[in-house]
Amino acid sequence: MSKVFRNPDVLWRRESDDSDVSQEEAVAAILFSGGSMLSLNEFGIELWEMCDGQTVDEIVTTLMSEFEVDEDVLRSDIQDFLNSLFQKGFIRYE
Amino acid sequence: MSNLQLKAPLTINWAINNSCNFACSHCYSREDTHDEISRDVLYSCIEKVVKAGVFSVNFGGGEPLLHPDLLDIAAFSSGLGLRVSMNSNGWLLDYDKAVALKNAGFTKVGISIDSHLPEVHDKFRGVAGSHARALAALKHLKAVGITTSISTVICRINCSTIDELVAMALEHEVGQLNFHNFKCSGLGMSNKDELDLTPEEWKVFYRDAIAAKRTVKNLDISLDDPIIALLDARDAGSLVKGSVCGKLSLNIKSNGDMTPCGFIPIVIGNIVRDDLQQVWKDSVVLDKMRNKQPTGKCSGCSKYEDCLGGCTARALALTGDMNSPDPHCWGSDAPAK
Ligand code: SF4
Repeated sequence: MSKVFRNPDVLWRRESDDSDVSQEEAVAAILFSGGSMLSLNEFGIELWEMCDGQTVDEIVTTLMSEFEVDEDVLRSDIQDFLNSLFQKGFIRYE
Repeated sequence: MSNLQLKAPLTINWAINNSCNFACSHCYSREDTHDEISRDVLYSCIEKVVKAGVFSVNFGGGEPLLHPDLLDIAAFSSGLGLRVSMNSNGWLLDYDKAVALKNAGFTKVGISIDSHLPEVHDKFRGVAGSHARALAALKHLKAVGITTSISTVICRINCSTIDELVAMALEHEVGQLNFHNFKCSGLGMSNKDELDLTPEEWKVFYRDAIAAKRTVKNLDISLDDPIIALLDARDAGSLVKGSVCGKLSLNIKSNGDMTPCGFIPIVIGNIVRDDLQQVWKDSVVLDKMRNKQPTGKCSGCSKYEDCLGGCTARALALTGDMNSPDPHCWGSDAPAK
């Protein structure tokens, strides 16, 4: 199964230093690649940080231990999010 | 998302010098300060900016290539992880300079060109031969692998030449063609009557520019004017509504004074003595720009949520009130339905 990597050209930062802020929709981080920008909530930034060579299965397994949610729902949320990052050129698969 | 409040700007437009070898009729900064901060102090300011979380700096002014330490400053900035770009008139940019810019970490350079016609550009800029050198600069930049763009301030001399400007950009294989709206700041204000368009003329220009943007391939035509919301053409992917100044970007002058953008002459702090994040968070002026209130025809305008009254700098320059409707807006004076 292919591994997910962040595009090294993308700059990013957390918007808040304490990661327990979150209302779910609060902007927790910004990704920036010159032309395009993206704001992420806490779930998004956590996922983004895991795009370091792990497979989607590994990401799902890790996040399953954190969230009380049905695995299929979680997997499809993760896949949707990764698809949108991929379309914008923020991640690549290897 | 309109009230997105970031911890620091994403990008800074930085006039490290305000000297220039040109004399353009629309320049916003000729009357600005020419004081410059010393190199060591500038370096500590750049460190401050990086620490605050800023992603990119765009050098402008002034003509950045006239700054004797530009390459060192850029190399220092890119070495700290900042993405470095600049706007230049291209006069001093030969092949060797392009190589040096590349080595200093420049990823993108915009060249200002006001017309596809050399004689019109040269007269407007006050320097014979400047058009040819601007085009040559694009060629040198491309040869060394720096992304290029053409910046054109739209005014009376070029507003009906979209196709020709696009053809010039395609011929020189630039990545982006920026059509900047006319700001009425500095000399732009003094020469406004001669150069600025009427609201109806802006409508025609934007209608044609948007059509070109939708049809032209291999070129990103960028329109940075919030009032194109009136033509349903705002970029849905933008992080903020209305103008980006004071929300995503900030301007720093050659003496370190910070202003919301290059076209709003209100100093909100100085990067040498003040904490960037503090100013960004606490500035009353920025707060006002981020929380504009509709007045006049903006009240009840169906585009307000996207447009937020248009370009704040222009409203302020011409009416004295940031909340006034953008003077370029062609929307009906009766509240829109
Ligand atoms: S009336 Fe105001 S909000 Fe509506 S388009 Fe014009 S400037 Fe923008």
